[in-house]
Amino acid sequence: MYPPKPRRRAFLAGGIAIILSGLLTACGGGGATSTSNKSGTPVDGGNITFLIQGYDTGWVSSKTSISSYEGNLWGQITDKLVYVDEKGALSPWIAESWEELNGAREFVLHLKKGVTFSDGTPLDAAAVVANLNAWAKGDPARGVSKVGLFPSSNFVGAVASDDSTVRVSFSSPALGFIATLGYHGCILLSPKTLALPVEAQADLSQEIGSGPFKVKSWKQGDSYVLEKRQDYNWGPAALGHTGPAHLDTITYKVIKDTSVRTSTVASGQAEVAYNVEPQEIESLKSQGFTVGTPRYLGFVDGFQVNTESFPTNELPVRQAIQHGIDREEIRNTVYTSDWDAATTFIQGNVPEAGDYSSFFAYDPDRAQKLLDDAGWKAGADGYRVKDGKTLEFTLSPNPYVPSTAAEDELIAQQLKRIGIKVDLKVVDVAGYSAIQASRPPLFQTSRSFVDVGTIAGVLTSQNNGENWFNLGTSDQKLNDLSTAIASASDRESREKTAGELQQYVLEQGYFIPLNQLVQRLYLISPKVQGVSYNGLAYANFYTAWIAE
Amino acid sequence: MKNQYQRFVLTRAGQAVVVVLLAYVLTFLVISVLPGDSITNSLRDPQRGLSEEEIQRIVAFYGLDKPVVVQLVLSLGRFLSGDLGFSLQSNLPVAQLIGDALPSTLALASSALALAVIFAVAIAYGAHYLPGKWASLLRSVPSLFLSVPNFVIGLVLIELFAFRLHAFTTIDTNSAAATVFAAVTLAIPVSAPLAEVFIASLDHESRQEYAVVARSRGLSEARLFVQHLAKPSALPAVAMVALIVGELLGGAVITETIFGRDGIGTLVQKAVTGEDQPVLQAVVSLSAIVFVAVNLVADLASPLVDPRIELREVVDA
Repeated sequence: MYPPKPRRRAFLAGGIAIILSGLLTACGGGGATSTSNKSGTPVDGGNITFLIQGYDTGWVSSKTSISSYEGNLWGQITDKLVYVDEKGALSPWIAESWEELNGAREFVLHLKKGVTFSDGTPLDAAAVVANLNAWAKGDPARGVSKVGLFPSSNFVGAVASDDSTVRVSFSSPALGFIATLGYHGCILLSPKTLALPVEAQADLSQEIGSGPFKVKSWKQGDSYVLEKRQDYNWGPAALGHTGPAHLDTITYKVIKDTSVRTSTVASGQAEVAYNVEPQEIESLKSQGFTVGTPRYLGFVDGFQVNTESFPTNELPVRQAIQHGIDREEIRNTVYTSDWDAATTFIQGNVPEAGDYSSFFAYDPDRAQKLLDDAGWKAGADGYRVKDGKTLEFTLSPNPYVPSTAAEDELIAQQLKRIGIKVDLKVVDVAGYSAIQASRPPLFQTSRSFVDVGTIAGVLTSQNNGENWFNLGTSDQKLNDLSTAIASASDRESREKTAGELQQYVLEQGYFIPLNQLVQRLYLISPKVQGVSYNGLAYANFYTAWIAE
Repeated sequence: MKNQYQRFVLTRAGQAVVVVLLAYVLTFLVISVLPGDSITNSLRDPQRGLSEEEIQRIVAFYGLDKPVVVQLVLSLGRFLSGDLGFSLQSNLPVAQLIGDALPSTLALASSALALAVIFAVAIAYGAHYLPGKWASLLRSVPSLFLSVPNFVIGLVLIELFAFRLHAFTTIDTNSAAATVFAAVTLAIPVSAPLAEVFIASLDHESRQEYAVVARSRGLSEARLFVQHLAKPSALPAVAMVALIVGELLGGAVITETIFGRDGIGTLVQKAVTGEDQPVLQAVVSLSAIVFVAVNLVADLASPLVDPRIELREVVDA
C-alpha cells in the first residue's frame, strides 16, 4: 500500500533538491548572452512581444494618448505632423515643410502627398484641420478634452487652402506651435474616428491612424496585436528608414507584476518589458540586455514651491532646502548612472536649458547659516524653532513616478540634518489630486513639453496660468519674464529670456530641482536592434528589427 | 409543508435581494468618500497641463458634478433596469468588460476548487493513515499552507516551472498549463481550512461505533475510508463551500495579477485604483449575487447530503 521507505526518502530529497537548485539558479540569473550582430543590416520580418503594466485607461485618444502606457501603442499606429528627436530638434514628418509668417502669428503647413489612414481615407489638409481643431478645443459637450499643451488661448483657426496645404492663425505670436505638433498628444487620427462618440472611440479597432502599424486584434486588459502596414512609406526622414516597418507584428501583453515582466524577458519568453526596477538595470545590462532610459523634454523631477504657505513663504527656508538636498546621494542610492544630474529646472536635452546648478548646489553649512540668520534656532529635539513654531512640513511623493517614494525618504533624512522636519505622506494617484488641490508647501511634479514657451503658462496666474508658486501676479519680475517668453516672436531673444528666467526661479527657491527625470524604461532583448527614441522618451519600433 | 417550503424560499430570496442592494449602496458610498473621481484623477495628471475649468467641463459630461445622492439614485435606477453603464476609465460597456473577464476567472476558480478538494482529501487521508511522524508532519501542512502568502507561492511556481523548467510560458496566460499553475497557487491557501475540517471530522468519525464494528469485521482501512468514512466526514466541509467561494474571489485578485491573467480579480483591482465606480458597482453586485446564491444552494443541498437535517427541517416546519 505504501512505497518502501528508502524510495519515499529519495523522492522527498529529490524534490527538495529540485526546488533548491531552482531557487539557487534563480538568484544566479539567466545567463543570456549578447548577440554580435549589432551593426548588421536590418532584416525584415519577425514578431516581438512587449510586456506592459496595463492599458487601464482605454483608447479614447483625448483621454489617453498622453498616458505613459497607452502612449507606447499610439506611437506605433499613428503619425504626427512633425518629428521631435531626443535633443529637441524638429524635422518634417507628415508636414513636409512649413512657413512661419507675420511674427509667428501665422503658419503654413505643406503636407506630404499620398499619405492614407489605415482605412484608406486620405490624410489630407481637411483631415489635418479636423485634428487641429480637436487638439485646440476638444469638445467638452461630447466628453472630449483638448490637448493640454496646445496653444489654445490664442488659436484663431485652421483652414485648408488646398488638398495639401493648411494655414493656421493665432491672435498673438505662437513660437511653440510647430514644436507642439511633435508632442505625443498631437496624434493624427482619421476624421471618422474623431467624429465618433467617446463610447465608440473606446473600441481600439475603431482608432484609425496612418502609422507604420495598425490594430490587428485586441482583448482589453490582456493583449493587443499590431501588424505592419505594407504600404507605409512616410516615416520621419530623421529616422533614416523608408518604406514599411521591419517587424511584422508587435504584441502588447499585459503583465502587472514588474518582477514577472522582467524575468519573462530575461528568460527569453518576450522581447521587451516596460518599466523595470532601477536597481535591476546593472545586472540586466551585464547579462547583455539593453535598458533604454530615454529622457523626455520637459521639467526635471522636482518640487513646485508654494510661496504663500508656512514655512516656504520665507525665502531663507526655500534657499536652505535648495542647498540642503544632496542630489548626488539620491542618484547613487535610488538610481543608477543612467540618471543625470539636473543643471536647472528643465531637462538637459531642452535646447534652452542652461547650467544654473550653483543655485542649488549641496552645501549644508550654507543652508544652516541661512536658517540661523533667519532666526530659526535648534530646539531640544534637533529641529529648528522660531516663535514657538517648529520648522516642518508634509511631503507627498509623486505617485506618477513611483521611485519618488524612495527619493523623498532620503530627502526627509537630509533635511533633518539641517534641522527641518519633513513628514512623509504617501498617497496613490487619487489622493495626489487632493494633495495638489490643497497646495502643500512642496508639490512634486513631472511634466513634459516640447517647447520652452510652455513654461510661461505655468509660473504665474497671468492669462489663466497654472500659478505653480502661488504668487498670482505679485512678482513683477516673474510676470515680465513670463510675458517676454510667451510673446517672443524670435527664438534668439526668447532663449536669452529663458536663461534669465531659469536663474531667477532657482535663486528665489520657487522651484526645487532634484535630478533629470526618467519616467519610461525599456528592457530590451539583445536580439532586438534598431530601437530609437523620440523627444518624448517613447521608443520607436518602426526602425526596430530582429537579429538572429 | 409545501407552503412552508415556498415561504422559506421566498424569505431567503428576499434576503438575498436586500444583501445585493445593500452591497451596491455601500460600495457607492465608500467610493464617494474617496477623494476625487476617476475622470478628475486622470485629467489632473500633471503631464496633461489642463486647467481646472477644462477638467470641470469634462467631469460634468460624465455627470460626476451632481450631488452624491442624485448620482446614487440615477446609478441604482440604471442597475435595476439591467443597464450596467460604461467604465469611466476605458469608456467600454461594463457588461462587455465583465463578459470578457468572467470565463478566465471561472476556469481558474473551478480548477482551484477542484485542486483544493484533492489537496484537502490527500492531506487528511495521509494525516490519518500514514505512520506516526509523517502523519504529524502532514497535520502541520494546513498551517503552513495558510501562512505562506499567495503571491510568494505564485512567484516561486513561475520562477521554477515557467522560467527554469519551461513547463508553461507567462505570455500565453490562458493555456491549460498556465491555468493549472495559477490554480495550484490559488488552491493551496484555500485547501488549508478544508483539510483541517476534514482531518477533524475524519478523526471524529473513525472513533464512532460503526467504524469500530466495521474494523472488527476485518474491513481494510482503505475500504473503510471509501465506503463508510468519506461521506460523513465530508459534510462539514461541504458547509464550508460558501466561505471558500469568497476566498476564491479574494485570492483571484492576487493570483491573476501575478500570472498576468485578465479576469474579474484584475478588473476589481483596476477599478479600485482608478475609482471606476460603474465597474466596481457591477463587480461587487455580481460577487454579492454569487455569494448569496452559493449560500442558498449550500443551505438547500445540506438536507440532501445528510438526511438528519432534512428530518429536523420537516419537524420544525
